[in-house]
Parts: sequence; structure tokens; C-alpha cells
Amino acid sequence: MSAICPRCDSAKARRLATAPVDGAWEIFGCPVCFFTWRSSEPDSITDPKRYDPRFKIDPQRIDAIPIVPPVPGKRPQSS
Amino acid sequence: MIFHDLRGFLDELERQGQLVHVRQGVRPEPDIAAAGRAVTDLGEASPALLFHALEGYGAARLALNVVGSWANHALMLGLPKTASVREQFHAIAQRWTRFPVPVERVAEAPFQDNVTTEIDLFALLPLARVNPMDGGFYLDKAVVISRDPDDPENPGKQNVGYYRLQVKDKNRLGLQPVPMHDIALHLRKAEERGENLPVAIAIGTDPILASVASAPLRYDQSEYEMAGALAGQPYRVVKSDATGLDLPWGAEIILEGEVVCGARELEGPFGEFTGNYSGLRRQPVIQLTRALYRHKPIFEQCYVGTPWTEVDTLIGLPTCVPIYHQLKADFPEVEAVNALYTHGLATIISTRQRFGGFAKAVAMRTLSTPHGIGYCKIVIMVDETVDPFNLAQVMWALSTRFDPAKDMITVPTASILPLDPLADPPGIATKIILDATTPMAPDRRGDFSRPVEIPPGTREWTAILGDLWAKAKAGER
Repeated sequence: MSAICPRCDSAKARRLATAPVDGAWEIFGCPVCFFTWRSSEPDSITDPKRYDPRFKIDPQRIDAIPIVPPVPGKRPQSS
Repeated sequence: MIFHDLRGFLDELERQGQLVHVRQGVRPEPDIAAAGRAVTDLGEASPALLFHALEGYGAARLALNVVGSWANHALMLGLPKTASVREQFHAIAQRWTRFPVPVERVAEAPFQDNVTTEIDLFALLPLARVNPMDGGFYLDKAVVISRDPDDPENPGKQNVGYYRLQVKDKNRLGLQPVPMHDIALHLRKAEERGENLPVAIAIGTDPILASVASAPLRYDQSEYEMAGALAGQPYRVVKSDATGLDLPWGAEIILEGEVVCGARELEGPFGEFTGNYSGLRRQPVIQLTRALYRHKPIFEQCYVGTPWTEVDTLIGLPTCVPIYHQLKADFPEVEAVNALYTHGLATIISTRQRFGGFAKAVAMRTLSTPHGIGYCKIVIMVDETVDPFNLAQVMWALSTRFDPAKDMITVPTASILPLDPLADPPGIATKIILDATTPMAPDRRGDFSRPVEIPPGTREWTAILGDLWAKAKAGER
């Protein structure tokens, strides 16, 4: 089952889980910005239009986000 | 009293009236975060909470605020729950000197009762969003165990520490290794070798390990051997047959896997102990391969946010004591260290002085301790007669002993953890020393020759009045 990510508006989000007991909720995850949410959370978390704009992510800008810690170079192989 | 696991400690908390069972149905969001925030606002003797009925999770249990108050912290140490913060500081400082206590190795542990490679964290753990704008569900009271890839047989270099973990999928976690912390060094070495870094994650441990895991020990000091020192008996571990890592015997849940070499994915934000959300960064990921857990495991979390929260109590004294001993090694005049505030971003140190300017030297040494290089942005020095845990006394010292023209030192472009919201750029900050000790020769300033001293008999009267007050509260006349 696919869904729209509330944080980055990607259409690639998918259902990751359903409640272990009584099917009370579903959990979704976004493979673009790695946001996860539960269907039973308030609209301010689940609805892309109501998600706090200060925390929205533009997928086009992900490559500019800092890498911490940096990936080091590999050591030379000893012969 | 020694607690080998979380359950044993919860039993003791219950006996002491320090555990509240929440059996009514609650929603993971927003109830768990709200309760976690609310319970620490109940004060210095707030209880632990054990939830029994989370919507969608059946009978799964979730513990919060286990060491979230000074009363519970004292019980963890086997002290009366009324022990003052200063008494608890000195108890830990004294036990610290027993280090190292070799571990007790055993072959079996309760968490081996259930083993699976079909990992589904969403089914195994009753997850709940900690703060509303967090980037996902987090494990924020789980310790991560790893070894130095260049020296894997060295038990001292095995690390047990807290690093926030974002649940990204059923068997995948995001990891935040702060560059100043040991796991960042382990990961760098593994990636330089072109290898994944094996890790184990322990959830729901005994409280002593939970406490020691937050302490800024030296790189080659074993958290397990320090836990033995604090507990007064060898710490019990089991060697993993998958990774060779030593695992805490009493853990409720163990997750095993590897930090993936070279992988970085978006992580965060997360509402942090600074009272601000962290930034969004591309950080390492852990691919899980196996989960082990006790029957009906208890999942443990802590609420993190604007202080004071459980995390401030949990990491407070284990931050103070290593700084104290590291300073004391060079400066035996140091009396006590209070690094309780925002993990020691503000630190207060009481010391006797050898000569004028001595306190400033101690303060500068503080900035270069292992913890100081990433924290200790504000260092306040006070006399040995001032209790650094008593803020009224500290403010008195600042009010009457501190001259901004002569007792303030600023250090520009110093290193700081990137989570400091004032860091500019992240990782860099100005640090400051405020010397509120009484000037001593040859630094002759002011007139401190006629101090008002405590009236004779005050100590005796403290005991008399305490006894009378206890009787009054008991209804006796």
C-alpha cells in the first residue's frame, strides 16, 4: 500500500506495519526522506498539507544535507 | 542492593513506592510523550511508569522514567531515596576508584529464550514518537556495544554507549555517532578497513549499566568494568556467538547487526536534551540480523526534551564524576564537580586554591578533559566552601566573588558538540570561564576578611528541628 509522505510529499511512501493486535493503526515509511508515521497520529503529522512547514523537506536538496561523520578513505592494502 | 536486570530494579521501585502502573488504555501518540514529560515535572522524587495497555500492542509493556528522579537514582545506588545529590555524587566518586572490576562471564542469559532472524521492530517494540516533529520513532534508551576493529580482543576498547537510534524499517536503524564519542572512532576504523562494524543493541538493562553507558570514560576504559565498580560486584556478561561482543546478561532485548560501511542516510530531526530539535543530517545506518529477547520483554524508553527530563538525571552524575577524577589527578584540591546542566554544557566546580589564579588553571584543564572538549561551554569556579550542587550558593559566589574585568576568560572557536543550538558553525562555539572563587595572594582584591560564619550550634539545631518536624508531620505534638 503506497502513501504520500507528509514531510517530503514523495509518492513512494509505503506501509511498513500494522498494529500487532486489533489492527488499530498502520505505520508508513518514506524511502526518500526516511520519515515514518502512524496512521492514528494527528493530522498535523499525517497530512502533507498540515505538516509544519519548518520541518518539510525538499527531496531535491537532500544531497546538500551534511554527512556526519564523513566517510573516510580506505587504507592502502598492505602487500 | 545489586540489580542484575531492569525487572529486579522495578520490583525495588515498587517496594519503595517509586513505581506507578498505568493499566488504563493509552495511545502511543500523544499519550506516551505527554506522560514522559509530565512525570518529570512531578519533582525530584517522581516515580517510574510502567504502561500495560498501549493501543495496538496488546499486553506489551513500556517503562518510562526509570531513573528519572534523584529518589530513583539513589535507590539504584542502594542509598536511601532521600539521599541528596551531593551525597550521591560522592558515593559514585568513591566507588569509581574500585575500577576496574573484571566481568563475570556466563554462558546463558534470559534473553536467549527467544531468538529470531525475522526481525520486525514494529511488532517487537511498542514504539511511540518522543516529540511531535521527530523524524520517526526512536530507541533513545538503548545502549550500543561495539569493538575497536584494529584491536578487537581488547576488552577495554569495547564500548557501551548511548547513541540515538531511528527506526527506519522493520530491521533497519539510523545511528547518530557524535564525532567525540567512541563509536565514531570504531566506525571510522571499520570504514578505513572497508568493513562493516558489528554492533549489538541492548534495550532494558539494569540501571547501573544504563548509567555508566552515559559516562565519558576514557577510550580504553570498559563500561562493564566500571559498572562492576559502581555495583560492588563483577558485572555479568554473555559473549554473543554471532559477533563476539559481550552482552549484558539482564537485558530485556538484544538486537544484533552491522553498521553498513560507507552508507549514510537522512536521519532526524530529534527533540534533544538541549531543548531543541537537532538538525537533519545524513548519518550511518545499522542493518539488523538477529533479535533475542526475554519472554514478555519490557521495552524501556525515556522522554527527552527541554530539561529537566529523565535523561538529565540519568547522565548527570556519570558525567560529573569522571571530570572530577580527571581533574583530581592533577589538582587534588578539587572538591566536587556539578556537570548536571544540559550534559555539562554548563559546569560548576568547587576547589580549594593553592595560590592566586589557581582556579582559572583548573577551569582551563576542565576544557581539555575528554568531556570538556565537546561540552563545558560555561565553566563556573567556586570555593571549596560552596556546594556546587546548591545553586543559591553558586549565585551568591557569582554575586560577590566574580569581577567581570578580571575573572572572565573567553575561548573563541572552541570545539563543541554539533547539537548545541548556538554553535556556529555546528561543532564550534565560544567558551567561557567565570572564576567566582575568593581572590588569594598574590591576587589581592576586595575585602573578604570578615565573613559571616555559621552560628555555633547550627548543626545540632538542624538535627533537633529535623526530628521535631518529622514528629509534626507524623501528627505528634
